[in-house]
Amino acid sequence: MKKLSFSIVITVISLLCLAGSCKKETSGSGSIKPVDSFNLVIYFKPVADSVLLHYDSTYTNYWKEKYSVSNFRYYISHINLINTDSNVTKQINDEKYFLVDAVDSLHCLVKLSVAPFRYNRISFTIGVDSAHNVSGAQTGALDPINGMFWTWNSGYVMAKLEGRSSKSSLVNNKMEYHIGGFAGPTSVLRQPTLLFPFGKYLEIGVGSKAKMTITASTNAWFYNPHELKIANTPSCTTPGQMAWSIAENYSKMFTVTTITN
Amino acid sequence: MHKQLVVILGFVAMVPATQVNSCKKTTPGQGPTPLSFVTPPGFPPPQYNFAGNPLTKQGFELGRKLFYDGILSKDGNFPCASCHQQFAAFCTYDHDFSHGYKDQFSTRNAPGLFNLAWQKEFMWDGGINNLEVQALAPLTAHNEMAEDIGHVIEKLKADTVYRTLFKAAFGEDDINSQKMLRALAQFMVMLVSADSKYDRVKQGRAVFTPTEESGYTIFRAKCAGCHAEPFFTDFSYRNTGLPLHPQLKDYGRMKITADSADSLKFKVPSLRNVALSFPYMHDGRFYTFDQVLQHYTTRLVKSPGLDPLLTNMITLSAADKVNIKAFLKTLTDSAFVKDKRFAQP
Repeated sequence: MKKLSFSIVITVISLLCLAGSCKKETSGSGSIKPVDSFNLVIYFKPVADSVLLHYDSTYTNYWKEKYSVSNFRYYISHINLINTDSNVTKQINDEKYFLVDAVDSLHCLVKLSVAPFRYNRISFTIGVDSAHNVSGAQTGALDPINGMFWTWNSGYVMAKLEGRSSKSSLVNNKMEYHIGGFAGPTSVLRQPTLLFPFGKYLEIGVGSKAKMTITASTNAWFYNPHELKIANTPSCTTPGQMAWSIAENYSKMFTVTTITN
Repeated sequence: MHKQLVVILGFVAMVPATQVNSCKKTTPGQGPTPLSFVTPPGFPPPQYNFAGNPLTKQGFELGRKLFYDGILSKDGNFPCASCHQQFAAFCTYDHDFSHGYKDQFSTRNAPGLFNLAWQKEFMWDGGINNLEVQALAPLTAHNEMAEDIGHVIEKLKADTVYRTLFKAAFGEDDINSQKMLRALAQFMVMLVSADSKYDRVKQGRAVFTPTEESGYTIFRAKCAGCHAEPFFTDFSYRNTGLPLHPQLKDYGRMKITADSADSLKFKVPSLRNVALSFPYMHDGRFYTFDQVLQHYTTRLVKSPGLDPLLTNMITLSAADKVNIKAFLKTLTDSAFVKDKRFAQP
């Protein structure tokens, strides 16, 4: 009888495994697509300057305005790994979009399959390229179910920062920045290139797996080069000059802090 | 004891078969049936990208069911068809504004849905850039269908009939927003209106009465600058001298472009089926042809943004007006509004 229950367990497990084996790469209500095989995991660590960001805590921006965060999300795509010594750029996962969501660390992981090489830079697009803003219904990370699509003025919200601040004049002291706009001079698409910590390389060997942590600081949204005071501008939810300025700011929010080869 | 073992062995034996089936996308010969899109004589090639969403009988039928089903709205009362009625060429008959969730009204006049395959931008302000994502706007608007995209998908997934229909249309078990939107687009893109008396005259299958003929001549001279054939719109955005509505404060195209030059510009509507689509203008402020003609001949408000074609208003004699009205009635497509393919399933 004992043997029998054991075999039942085995059977159930194997059935479950098989059921799972045909899952597609879609992410359902989640955001980040798992990749079949990956050798680099990037953790986009949400921070306020150097402090890990928690949704229930209060932080202070450059203008001494206190704020808390309830939503911090952005798209990453068109990732390149670069070696400037030998002038090599490897494009990876060109058609993949990742929605990084600070709600939990699992949604901050981007898993990539990278060509073996020694790299000293990474670049990526913050946002969704214009073609995918105009070509109809999308799925996966780009599914409008993820709340990153404007329905009245078609286009993706490329990055979103929501929360509260006593400096905000809006109802419930809301602070709400939905940054989008893919066309013309106020396009918010940005492609930052990040240096690695001094003397550090990303070594991707055959069969090896590497990890990288890139911090993304909410505080960067509020200054440099453009002043964004919550007291003056508690919300920005349409494409245009203000969105463009904020995108300039947040394009500088990333820092590569650790690489583990 | 033996029985149980047999059951378990049975399960194990089934495993390979299960795996094969669940991984198969479509069985050859059993996939959805292709549906062809016919471009009417005199129409240019369509704008819609059919390659990205190949038309099938099953996809179209699923789209039709979704279009007529209140499941897409929060309280179940507002299918797409509640504001887009076939007998009115898919606008809301005899309503300036349409009814939505919790007795609310829309803020613009619902346009007729036809010849969408040739349209690049949607809504009165052109804010939507692809037919496939158009449905998201009314679906999520708090005063229209008031739903949440995720919740709609959950409801569809919980419905066994829809599960079967989605599988038949797209060959996979999964239901997602992309498939829902593509099915709706398949239905809407098939709504072609090109069989009015005007069309039959153009094809030599009918003749205008002398009144209609004169109306057509005047129309081409005085109206076709914006209402260009064969769609009876050039799909542009224009300020036609309608004063700003004091309560709605709707600035039209400017909301989308944030360009003050686009203030009070709205899309030129098609005049096909215009006899069915009253009241007129983006906010339904005119109920009759006469009111509209009066606007263009004597009432329009001149402002710096007024369309250059209207600087001197339009000059029409009383006879011209009678003739134009007769011509406009030849744009009614009676076959389209009764076409069983587009009716409630």
